[in-house]
Formats: sequence, C-alpha cells, structure tokens
Amino acid sequence: MNDLTQSALTKPRVVGKRTPRIDGEYKLTGRAGYTGELHADGMLYGYPVPATIANGVLESLELDDALSMPGVVDILHHGNFDTLHRSPNSMAHGDMVNEVRLPFEDERIYYHGQYVALVVAETFEQSRAAAQRVVARYQMEDGAIASLLLTEAEGELQDGAGASRGDPEAAFGGAEVTVDSTYHIAAESHLQMEMHATLAEWRDDGQRLIVHESSQGVFFQRNAMARVFGIAQENLEVISHYIGSGFGNKLFMWPHAVATAVAARRLGRPVKVVLPRQQDMTGGGNRPASRQRIRLGADRSGKLTSVIHDSTTETSLVHQYVDTCGSATPSFYACDNVSTSQRVLQVNHGTPCPMRAPGEVSGIFALETAMDELAVELGMDPVELRLKNNAELDPASGLPWSSKHLDECLTSAAQRFGWDKRDPVVGSMRDGDEIIGYGMASCTWSAGRQPCEARVELRADGSLFAACGTQDIGTGTYTIVAQAVAELTGAELSRIEVKLGETGLPAGPLSGGSMATATVLPAVAAAVRDALDAIKEVAVGSGGAFEGSDADSLDVERGGLTDGKRHVSFAEILGASKLSSVNGKGSAAPGNERSEYSFRSFGAHFVEIRIDPGISRVRVARVVSSIDIGRAINPPTARNQVEGGIVMGVGMGLLEKLDYDPRDARLINANVADYIVPTHADAPDIDVELLDYPDFKHNEFGGRGVGEIGLTGVAPAIANAIYHATGKRYRDLPITIEALLAS
Amino acid sequence: MRTFAYSRADSVEHAAHRTTPDAAFVAGGTTLLDLVKLDVLRPSELVDINALPLKSVEWLDDGRLKIGALVTNTDLAHHPEIKQHYPVLSQALLAGASTQLRNMATTAGNVMQRTRCPYYRDPAAACNRREPGSGCDARHGLNRLNAVLGGSEACIAVHPSDMCVAIAAIGATMTLSGPDGEREVAFEDFHRLPGDTPHIEHDLGDGELITAITLDAPLVPAGSYYLKLRDRASYEFALASTAAQLSLDGEMIGEARVALGGVGTKPWRCPEAEAALVGQPAEKATFERAADIALRDATPLEHNAFKIPLARQAIIRALREATRLARQTGEQEGQA
Amino acid sequence: MMDDSAHSRTAFSETLSVNLTLNGEPRTLQVAPNAVLLDVLREQLGLGGTKKGCDHGQCGACTVQIDGQAMNSCLRLAVMCEGQHVTTIEGLARDGELHPVQQSFLECDAYQCGYCTPGQMMSASAMLEDDRIGTDDASVKEAMSGNICRCGAYKNILEAIQQARVQLGHDATAARKEGVA
Repeated sequence: MNDLTQSALTKPRVVGKRTPRIDGEYKLTGRAGYTGELHADGMLYGYPVPATIANGVLESLELDDALSMPGVVDILHHGNFDTLHRSPNSMAHGDMVNEVRLPFEDERIYYHGQYVALVVAETFEQSRAAAQRVVARYQMEDGAIASLLLTEAEGELQDGAGASRGDPEAAFGGAEVTVDSTYHIAAESHLQMEMHATLAEWRDDGQRLIVHESSQGVFFQRNAMARVFGIAQENLEVISHYIGSGFGNKLFMWPHAVATAVAARRLGRPVKVVLPRQQDMTGGGNRPASRQRIRLGADRSGKLTSVIHDSTTETSLVHQYVDTCGSATPSFYACDNVSTSQRVLQVNHGTPCPMRAPGEVSGIFALETAMDELAVELGMDPVELRLKNNAELDPASGLPWSSKHLDECLTSAAQRFGWDKRDPVVGSMRDGDEIIGYGMASCTWSAGRQPCEARVELRADGSLFAACGTQDIGTGTYTIVAQAVAELTGAELSRIEVKLGETGLPAGPLSGGSMATATVLPAVAAAVRDALDAIKEVAVGSGGAFEGSDADSLDVERGGLTDGKRHVSFAEILGASKLSSVNGKGSAAPGNERSEYSFRSFGAHFVEIRIDPGISRVRVARVVSSIDIGRAINPPTARNQVEGGIVMGVGMGLLEKLDYDPRDARLINANVADYIVPTHADAPDIDVELLDYPDFKHNEFGGRGVGEIGLTGVAPAIANAIYHATGKRYRDLPITIEALLAS
Repeated sequence: MRTFAYSRADSVEHAAHRTTPDAAFVAGGTTLLDLVKLDVLRPSELVDINALPLKSVEWLDDGRLKIGALVTNTDLAHHPEIKQHYPVLSQALLAGASTQLRNMATTAGNVMQRTRCPYYRDPAAACNRREPGSGCDARHGLNRLNAVLGGSEACIAVHPSDMCVAIAAIGATMTLSGPDGEREVAFEDFHRLPGDTPHIEHDLGDGELITAITLDAPLVPAGSYYLKLRDRASYEFALASTAAQLSLDGEMIGEARVALGGVGTKPWRCPEAEAALVGQPAEKATFERAADIALRDATPLEHNAFKIPLARQAIIRALREATRLARQTGEQEGQA
Repeated sequence: MMDDSAHSRTAFSETLSVNLTLNGEPRTLQVAPNAVLLDVLREQLGLGGTKKGCDHGQCGACTVQIDGQAMNSCLRLAVMCEGQHVTTIEGLARDGELHPVQQSFLECDAYQCGYCTPGQMMSASAMLEDDRIGTDDASVKEAMSGNICRCGAYKNILEAIQQARVQLGHDATAARKEGVA
C-alpha cells in the first residue's frame, strides 16, 4: 500500500492557505480563452438544425433555400453523413460518451432537439440564417413519453445498481415507528453558463485531428473520438484550457463534437460549433426526473431498524444512463437492515447524464426528508435523530471510516445557526407577515480517487512548470497544483506555471465526482519529487553547485537546495551545469487503503426559510453549513464550491424544472428565462464552515474533494424548514407557488 | 436570424414613411431582436429610431406628464417627477427585467412587448397570434404562464409588461404619428383583446409610430404600490402583479385605481373593483371584496388555476400597502 | 416617397459601416445589418472576453457598457452603436492596472468558472458609478440580478462589489447602515 503516513503533509506552508487563483487575472481581464471564442485560420461556422418533434421519423429535408444563401458551404445530414463507428462507451477504457448514437445515424427522431442537419457557412450569422431556412418534414408518432412523472410505467430493474443487507422488509414490518413516503423530483438542466462548443481542425492532410472542446474530460473525449473515427489516439488531440463550467454534462462527448469533426474533415477547413442555448438544453444533458419510495422503520428511541430505498429515473431511447439515487443510502446511517433498488425508464428526452452529485443528491432529498418525517413521528429533534443513528463504521462495508466528523458538523452548524432557538411547534415562529421555518439535513458524497500522471519541470529561468491532462472547470485546479508545487519546492507561487486540459500532457482524470484534487495532487507531488531527485543529481555532479556532496544531504528550501550552509536556487544550479531544465515525472493511484477504510465526506446544512402566506412567497433567508472534506487545499475556493452548491440547492428546492409538454414530449422551457435558476436576489445569507481534519489515509495532502457535497442535503433542509413553517410535507421538487397555494 | 435591411430615421416624419410593409421600428431592440433570432418575427427591414427627439419628460399645462417614446425604462424609473408623483410606475419599471434590459428598453418599446407564451416563441408550435389560423397549443398544453383574464378560444397569451400595469392604473393617452399625421388613443384602448384576431395586438396602423405617452394627472394625496409575485426574487416575468393607487378620506377610500399584470391578455385595469373600493372603509374586508370582483370573470386552465388565488393575494396586499403609504403621506402632510 | 439622403437603407447582403469608440479607440467597422454586437466582438474583433450564455438577454454574460450603461450586447445590432462608446471587459483595466472591481473579484474569489465574470464586472463597475442605485446589499443584489452565475458565487461577488465601492472612495459602510435603516 502507499505509505501515506510517511509523506503526510502535516505542517503545510502553502497548502491549506488562502491562495488567489493563479488563472484569476486571465479570467478577470477577458484573456482566458474558452472554446466558443477561439479562432483558427479559415474557420467555418456550423449551426445544428434541431428536430421540432420528439417522436417519429424524419421524412424529408428541403435544403435548396438554405444552400443558396450567402456564405453557405455545406449541409450535413443523414443522407450524406460519413460512416463512422460507435464508441464502445466504456468507463474502464476511458472512452465513455454521453450518447452512443452517432449524429444523423438514422432517420428516427427520439427526442426534441435531436440534430437533423448541420449547416456550415463562412460566418456565424450566415450559418444561423441558413439553418432557419432548412425545412424538415416529419412523420410524427403518438406515444411519446414526456416524463417519468407523467406515467405509471415502472421501468427496468437494474441489476447491480442496488444493495441489500439484513432483512429490511421484515424489519420494516415489525418496526415500532415507520415512514413510507414517495418523492418526485423534476428533471433539471445543468445550465452551465458556457454552452457546449467544439472547434475541430484536421492537420497533416487529414491525418491528425485537433479538437478544442469545452470538456471536463479531454482524455475521455480523445479516446472516444479515436474509436469513432477509427484513428490512433496519437493522431488526436483534445484541448480544453478554460471551461465555462459543466456540472457533469461536459464529462463525456456529445454528438455535436462528432458532427463538427466530420464537417471539418469534409471541407478541409476548421469548423466551430457553439450550441445555441435551446439545443444545449434539449440535447446537451439533463438530470433525469426521479420517483423514489423510502420506507424507514425505527424503534421508539429513534434507532433505525430498517431502510428501504427504491428509485426510478429516466434515460433516453438512444443511451442507457442510470442515475443511481440510492448509492449513499447504505452508508448513511447505522442500520442493520437496508436495501436499495434502481429502475430506469426510457423517455423521449435528450439523454440525461451526471449532474452535480449525480443520483445521490436526489436520493438524499428523499432520505433526509424521510428522516425529518421520522423525527416528527417520534416527536424527536431531527438533529438528535441523526446523531443517534450516526454510523461509527461504514455500515455498507463494515470498514472504519478514514476520517468522519458528521457529529461535529451537526453540533457545530446547529450552534452557529441558533437551532436551540427553534420552537418545534409548526408555524410558531413569526415575524410580521412572515412565518419562519427552521429545517436541517445531513449531506454526504463519496471520496474517490483515480490513477493519474503528471510532469514537472524546474527551469533555468527560475520558473517551475507543472502539467497534467486534467481540467480546471472553475473549482480551482490550476491553483492547487501550483500550491502543491510551491509546497514541495519552497518556490514562490508567482514562479509556477501550470498547464492543464490537453491530451498531449500526462494522463489526468475527469474533472468530476469531487475526485480531481485527491487524484491529481499526489501525482504532481510524485513528479516534483522526481524532479527534485534529478536536480540534486545535477547539483552534486561534475561542475555542479554542490559538486561532490551527498545528494541525500541536500535539503529543498525556497526554490533551491541547501546543505545547511549555502542555499543555491534551482536556476543557479541549472545554470552552473549549463542545463535548461530538469524534468520530473510522477504517477499515483489509490492503493490498498481502499480495502482497509471507507472514504466519504459528510456535513450538515441548517436552513431558515421565510414564508409570507398572504402572498404565497417563500424565500431561503439563511443557510449555515458545516462540512468535513478533509483538508481544504485552498480554503476560499473550497468554500466557494460549497456556497455555490447551496445556491444550486435553492434552485433545486424551489425553482428548477424542465417542462416537457405531456402531449408530445417537446421541451418548452429550453431557455434561461423560463428555466428558472437563482439570481443574486435569491442568494441567501450563507455561512459555511469547513472542518479541518486532513485525511491522510486518502492521500498525503489530506483533501477529499468538495465539488458535489455542498449541493446534497440543501433541498431536503429547505423542504423540512417549510414543513416546520406550514405543517405541510412537500415530497415533490421543486416546491412551487402552486404547491404552496394548495396547502 | 434572418437578414434584413437596416436604416436610421432622423425625423418622425421619415420614420412614419416605412419603405416595406413588413418593416419594423427598432429602439431598444430587446423584444425585437430576441424574437428575430427565434425566427418568430421576420421583418424585411429595421428602421432604427433611436436618433429621434423623443427622449423628454415634461409636464403639460393641464397637469399631465408627457413621456417621450424613447425615454429608457431606467431613466423613467429614476426620473424625479415619476418617483415623486407616480411612484407606482417607478416601482413597476424597477420590478421588470434586469438593469441591463431596462437601460436598453424604451417606454414605447415596453408597451410593444410581445407575450412570453412559450408556444408563441416557438415557430414549430401552433399559435394564432404568431400565425393566424394555426391553432393554440397553449390552451391544452403547459399553460402555467397563460392568462386567466381576457383570453379567447384563439389565444390566452399574457401581456408581460410591468410598466403597462402601472400605466393602466394611472391612466394615460398614447400619441401616435403616422403617414396621415398625429392622433391620440386612450391607453386602455391601445392593447386589443385577442378575440378571433390575436395577431392584431394593438391599435397601431401601418407606418404608425408611438411618439409619446401622457400620464393622467397624479392622484393626490395618494398611496400607491406595485406588487409583483413570481417564482424567484428578481429577473422574472410576473405570475401575478397588482398596481394599486388610492386616496383616503379619513378611514374611507376616496379614489382608487387597480390594475393587474401576469394574468390578463392585456394590461388589466379593474374598474368594477375600483368602484367597489370607493367610499368604503380601507380595511381587509373591502380589499377582499374588491379582489373577488376583479377576478369574477377569471377562467382557469389546467396549469394556471393558481393564478386566480395568487392574483387575489396580490390585490389584497397591494391595497393594504397602498393604504399604509397613503396614511403615511397623510400624516406627513398633517405634520407639515 | 423616400428621401434617401436622410433615410438610406441597405440591401440584404451588403455590409454597413459603423463608427464607434471601442475601449477608448475610435473604430470603423464593416458589419452585416443582422450582425449582433456580441458576435461582432467575439468573432470579428477577437474580443472574446464578452461571453455568450443565452443569446437572448436572459443571463447577462454578454454585458458591456454602452455610453457608460450596462447593456446586453446580444440584443443590440452592431450598426445601432453608431457614435457610441462601447466598453468591454478588455477595456476595463486601464494602463495595465486592474480596475478596483477586477482587483476585488480576485481577492474575494468572486467567481468559479469565470464565464459569467466579465458580465458581472461590467454590470458592477457601471452600477458603482450610478448614484441612482442604492448601496445597501439588497439594492446591489437586485441591481445585479441580470447577471446569472450558475456556479453560485453570489456571496463573494457581493462582497467584492462592496469592497470595490470602498476602494473607489464611496463609503459603503455608512451606505449599508443607511440601507438597513
């Protein structure tokens, strides 16, 4: 196993300290180049034509008008599209895609917004104008399934997506106190600010493909594209330097990227496609709607005796996506009898895909609302109920936790929130026209880690360079890599350059699942150590700055080496030996520790809502959270992640819902005005505390990742607060004005 | 976004002589360009009227306030005369859209806003307003945002403006300039009910341009309040809104004005509800009675029935707040 | 009949000439009549700092300042900017010095992915010069609500704006107290 205790970073100088983003100035001056604004010589613009129906057959395309318009170069469609291969869609082989169906593969229409053509023109304006002149005729068919929430259909049971221990049915049947409730959550849109975008260019006479993509996983896209086009990975490069976020819908490749690359190959010129927002929302991923039934059994003291969590989520007709809602449930609370199951139902939507805390955020809404219901049944404080069922070991695996402090999160957040001022009587807390409701929920996300490689250079000009083929989607990866290099070399942060987001760099992980920090930093550290070994060899070698010394006697300090008497900078060492740089390579991967411990982060959200029943208005006034993510490598950016998750949770709880027309499954609110997300004015007062318990069993830096956990638990805390204010239990999200009026 | 010709008009007379039948005037552009991009509007020519001298706000001798067509929503909302004498209009303007859009949008353009009905905004959907005779996908579709007042079999699209709701409550006259000269139309007659011809949205002839809106003399002494109810706290169209103005005569209501937004196919003045307020005690029971009268003819559809109780709440609360402010004004004047 | 001297118009495929001041520099641009300012900035002029997030005035990522006022460049034809001063994020910093709003965004970590950020700062810097908008937190949040941040960095954006206000010499503390009262 990795000897993590030996390398554990117990007294960091830079890691764990507030560090302004090293890419900040680029983002703040407009110089950070996101895919959609990149240019290539001779570049053409592609504009997809979306299907206006959700179920049927494309009968004909009338292209003459469009082709005759100024600047139009070509129109790609089913009748003339290249023959390609499907990606094997394997997570293990790193070629997973978000939609296995290739663009224009057949003439069947499976969902509203499916591409039926791609117009390519000299300018953006020309491509859009011509796309609107393409006339598509369809044979529309009845029977489109508009939503899981509009059908009684059960969906297909997914083997391997559930878990079971003990005899939960029997325990539920014999429980002294029970809750049996069903929850529905509407489909949501990621609505990442930057739409999907691809710029594809073939070089070397069509032998080599360069793709700029707004991607959370350049290696996955490269591998998938290599399979789709049947070319060697070495002849394909995917680049993503800045990403206008993704929240999961940019993890894997979508069909627009394939269509763009085909257009570029056919026309022998670079082609750029930026999806219009409507198409980004219809075909660029969504969080599927879910229907969940939770059964809890407990004894009178509040001890859980049974947890049964049965879930169904949506997938599309062209791809199997399973949004496993129950994946956190077996590990959440100490209980001997637990089962989860997962079903999937095909609907006429664009394919769903992971969205921030995929599956679990939906599951935790159901579970943590059910726990509040149980607390009411028991007449018990909801915080006390959770403390009573706190699991000291991971009940799913029986392994000890690497580091768990849920109890401290609960008590600390409760104290800062003022939970003791809560009068448990429903509707008892008032302020003028408003009723105040206090609610809370626990939150959790697993702590994963992937294999990773990295490279580090120490350069004669005094700079240091670190590279890894992962991405910074706004979480601050550029900066924490620089912090790690600064930590281990003693160099100034300002001298460190970091390069990410290219498949030409050492293989790095997806930016997703809150895994990037724990995955990338150990590899960077290994590369730094390798580079330090190399520069020590240089220093003690012939003509070196410490010629004749023992390399082991040299210490790393302030961007150089010292023998205790003399400090020589890396630049001087390299200069003395007439070298431009030394290189270090490193790789790291999870080891045996995963069979000895369970790794998961926990936390708690406390929410104050204010309801003005006279005008049916509910607003989240205040959120106080305590989250244990191990060590926060860069506390402001880590806290920012949790705060952002809370804001997204306000949207999930009260606002967000993709509206599919029940008659024909067309998505009618595919725009940023009608799909409602929180604005500045909706942002509550937020107070986030990050506990500081470095988890050295997870990695030497002690960080467990932070992207997902902040979102989990927010929506149930809101719903529980609304119950406290109104006495009405809301089990369906979002909790709308009409639902409030109905109470 | 289709192509079109573009020209700039440098006088009202030039602007009024449009060169092609499907030309459109553009000022702020916030509605027009949005809908041209969606391929909902397909003008062959845009006539840019931003250079026209229609940007003043001035009192007329008869005590009315004349607002130039091109005064931006921001400038109007913050105009000292509006804030002092027509606070309900200032509040309504600031409740609408966003800072950026208000900086662009003009007074006349706001009046000319198009509906937010999702089926109107989607050229693939059936919509009698966009394409006469094609049908109405909203009637049996997802009609959460649609109207409960003033709808017809042909159309149930809501007029989305906040500003117009306040102006409806204040009362105003539109000045239109066209090839045949200038004419005036009462604000309440400008927007049409959809009836069988929802594509005819307003009383504006070919080549005619709105040049000014003249507000009726302010109600004094009065309290006024604009209340907008919506899902999120800002930057969203109203689900229900109310502009309320009233004056007090002791504990009794003197004059009263009530108009509704978010629920009607045009900015919805409620004269019968106003009549039910006048001379009555300024108290909850009166407000509730007026709200019931205002919504007597409201017709719910599958997904928008909640708008009726929501609008009722908006009316009652807005009247309560207007009363509170009228009392404050009265007390201040009593002290002075 | 038309008086063409006063009312000239273009045919469909022609380009038009527009004179404007862009980030302090006088410029003459040739643009199609249907070219939107946002697309001209991004595709024709290489000014990619102004972002496209919805293209319909619904998100604020495209916010620029026109004659000092924040506006959605996605809903403005380039030809409509004749004679106007257009400032984009590329023109916010002056003489190599970050604008106080940029500096405070950096210090407060008022962003994540950075995509809405130029629009946030263009709105914020215009707002801080506009004495018609209240200086208390609630007024700032309302005035900034035309800029959606899906990463949800609103708390830090608010803090950054109020910090920049202090740096710009306005007394935010007093103003915030006033707003509460």
